[in-house]
Amino acid sequence: MSGLPFAGFLVLSGALLAVGLFGVLTRRNFILLLIAIEIAMNAAILNFVYFAAFARAPSPGLPGQAIAVVLIGFAATEVAVGLAIVLALNRVKGSINVAEASELKL
Amino acid sequence: MSSLFDLAGTFAPELVLLAGALLVFLLDVLKLRRLELVGSVSVGASLLALALVVADLGFAPFASLRTLSAAQVNPSLSALATPLWTFTSLGLVFQGMFLLATLLVSVASLSRGSKETGGPIFFGLLLLATLGMLLVAISSDLIFLLLAIELSSIATYVLVGYTRRGLRPLEAAMKFYIIGAVSSALSFFGASLLFGAYGTTNLLAIREVAGTVGTPILALLGYAFLLSGLAFKATLVPFHAWAVDVYDGAPSDVSAFLAGGTKKVGIFAVLLVFLGPILFAGAGGSSNPFQGGPFTLGPILQVTLGTLAVVTMTVGNVLALLQKEMKRLLAYSSISQAGYMLLGVTIGTAPAIAGATFQVLAHVLMKGGAFLVVAGVAGLGIGPLVDDWRGLGSRRPLLSVAFALLLLSLAGVPLTIGFVSKFVLFSAAVQAQGFFVWLAVAGLLNSALSVFYYARVLKVIYFEAPPAPLPTGGAVVGGAGPEPLRAGGLGIGRAVAIGVATALVVALGVDPQPLLGPIQAAASHFVFFWR
Amino acid sequence: MNLEEIAFAILALVAVATATLSLLVRELVHTILWVAVFFVDLSAIYFLLYAPFLGVLQLGVYAGAVTVLLLFGIMVTRKRIFAREAATGLGPVPLGLVLTVFIFLVAALGELPQGLVAQRSYAPSDLSAYLFGPGGPWLLLLGLVMLTSVSGAIYLVREGRE
Repeated sequence: MSGLPFAGFLVLSGALLAVGLFGVLTRRNFILLLIAIEIAMNAAILNFVYFAAFARAPSPGLPGQAIAVVLIGFAATEVAVGLAIVLALNRVKGSINVAEASELKL
Repeated sequence: MSSLFDLAGTFAPELVLLAGALLVFLLDVLKLRRLELVGSVSVGASLLALALVVADLGFAPFASLRTLSAAQVNPSLSALATPLWTFTSLGLVFQGMFLLATLLVSVASLSRGSKETGGPIFFGLLLLATLGMLLVAISSDLIFLLLAIELSSIATYVLVGYTRRGLRPLEAAMKFYIIGAVSSALSFFGASLLFGAYGTTNLLAIREVAGTVGTPILALLGYAFLLSGLAFKATLVPFHAWAVDVYDGAPSDVSAFLAGGTKKVGIFAVLLVFLGPILFAGAGGSSNPFQGGPFTLGPILQVTLGTLAVVTMTVGNVLALLQKEMKRLLAYSSISQAGYMLLGVTIGTAPAIAGATFQVLAHVLMKGGAFLVVAGVAGLGIGPLVDDWRGLGSRRPLLSVAFALLLLSLAGVPLTIGFVSKFVLFSAAVQAQGFFVWLAVAGLLNSALSVFYYARVLKVIYFEAPPAPLPTGGAVVGGAGPEPLRAGGLGIGRAVAIGVATALVVALGVDPQPLLGPIQAAASHFVFFWR
Repeated sequence: MNLEEIAFAILALVAVATATLSLLVRELVHTILWVAVFFVDLSAIYFLLYAPFLGVLQLGVYAGAVTVLLLFGIMVTRKRIFAREAATGLGPVPLGLVLTVFIFLVAALGELPQGLVAQRSYAPSDLSAYLFGPGGPWLLLLGLVMLTSVSGAIYLVREGRE
């Protein structure tokens, strides 16, 4: 008999989301922020994959994996835009620390 | 083959925008980068798409809807396919409003001051952002909806920083990107929990399944995450802080598009996702989600959204009172307006949704116009502070009258569109009885509060003397006259866009019926559809 | 406990640990290392979930492309590649906020079915049939998102005057 703990997976994805949010709230380096966002995004993707694996009989389940494929592509695209913004900012200014974004009032 | 043509016919407005965007990129590659040329492509595409949407709507909301489902596109899939998109007349009304915002911004951007940098690719990204917004308005699937929101978001991240030179716009773009990416991660997490609870991400199918299994705890959590993700996009209050910095840091034309256009995407998404659960009257299950059994989300959602709405308008208005810079003042007032729109969504009756929709239309015109005036005034060499606008009334009478009318409409003075939308909205709230009457009272008090800061701006413009000229070394010629304004800085395009917005604000304020009627019909159709 | 459960427990612990470490270590290059381990670990979890296609995709896109992209970002924006991230505290408020969310999540999960659940697996051909059938609009939309981000990113980073 093979099987996996259902609730355990949700604890994992909840923990990953919490780690990601924590990083977003505390880190100030843009690259670290990107990584934190990716960790949170991966929590959502993981959810889709295992809800597909655990889907009960009437629901098709397969869409979960299809959505995961799409989201993996989407998350990679998002990183590319973030890096482009960083590079543009880096050219104008020497630093990419969000805390030094002093011209805007927080 | 015919199904392909059917598809092209069904998505004509969207395809027009895509073609326009690709044409802009092509012109860019061919180094045909004259602003007027590229801008007119954008104006043409958005005008054509608007005409197609209005023709679809036919001003008779049930007559000629685009009704093609995924099953019709490929009949062999019909067993699997619950359509990812559904054309509702209210969705088409929102499409029209989004296109109106794009049209205003495109026309205004046709003529820019020579000091402003940034390539014509601006228009391509504008069209792609609009394409995403149009797709939001027709989606009936969570993933389709969220991806469409991301399409418009990613385009706007770049738009905010598109000048590439200044530090401020790029920093605003960076903040906007971080907040947007976090909110999308939250939304997708919420969608994944809903998928786990109901086995589908299709909103129509979710409604079906919820009829039998109620609202399990996973779904409750999913809705909570989804709401917090969408609240970022709609600038609702605990999640509003980014909006002021971004509107302030972005070029004013882009601010007009953000406040007038993309923010409403969030409002419509909240409406689309939460109207079903609000209206859903389950089999009278327990009101406690932790006791098991069928559970209806409606009352909890209404209290949550209602509280959010009141907090949003109050915080927005109070903070607007404290602002010294014009763009930040307008940004906070924009946040408070989001509260009014959310009020209509909360109530969930047809008149209330009509009121919210009309409020969205009013806001597109008022706030879009106001930010365009700010853009124009900056081109005249006037500073960012409210006090820098002293005496504008005597120096630029026409522009000042337009701005005054837009502000009066924002304050909700009769004979402007702002009054009509608030009247429709608050009377719907009073009709809905109970808890909602208090929401209407809160809204009325807030409107009264907002009059103070609009009146302050009007006083500065009309009743204070223009700033004295800076002593420039030698003798000041002509005594102590006001410092001359830079001539011809406004530009024809901006003047036309501001004029059209102001004219519509007044015209629809005097006689709202030509648009209010169809919107009411569309809203009642929408409520009927989602019940 | 069966073998799969043990494997899952280990992989889950490694995932949370590497994710946390990647945000806490002081040298940015080490961050990239931990993130790479995190992505590979997730890919192993996908294999455990009978989603081999996704596992491979995760390896290729995340462990491969995204990691290199992030490394590239660090290399371009840092003058010294081993420069340290400015010390930022943990901040009691964010930590409390995030812990509250997490505890709330776990408390809510008490309501879920406990114990082992049977898994379903899908053939990769079914997945591709779905992606090019009913799920096609998602892919199309993803393509539009990619068009937007590529054109926007190229515009933002290219040199030269307009």
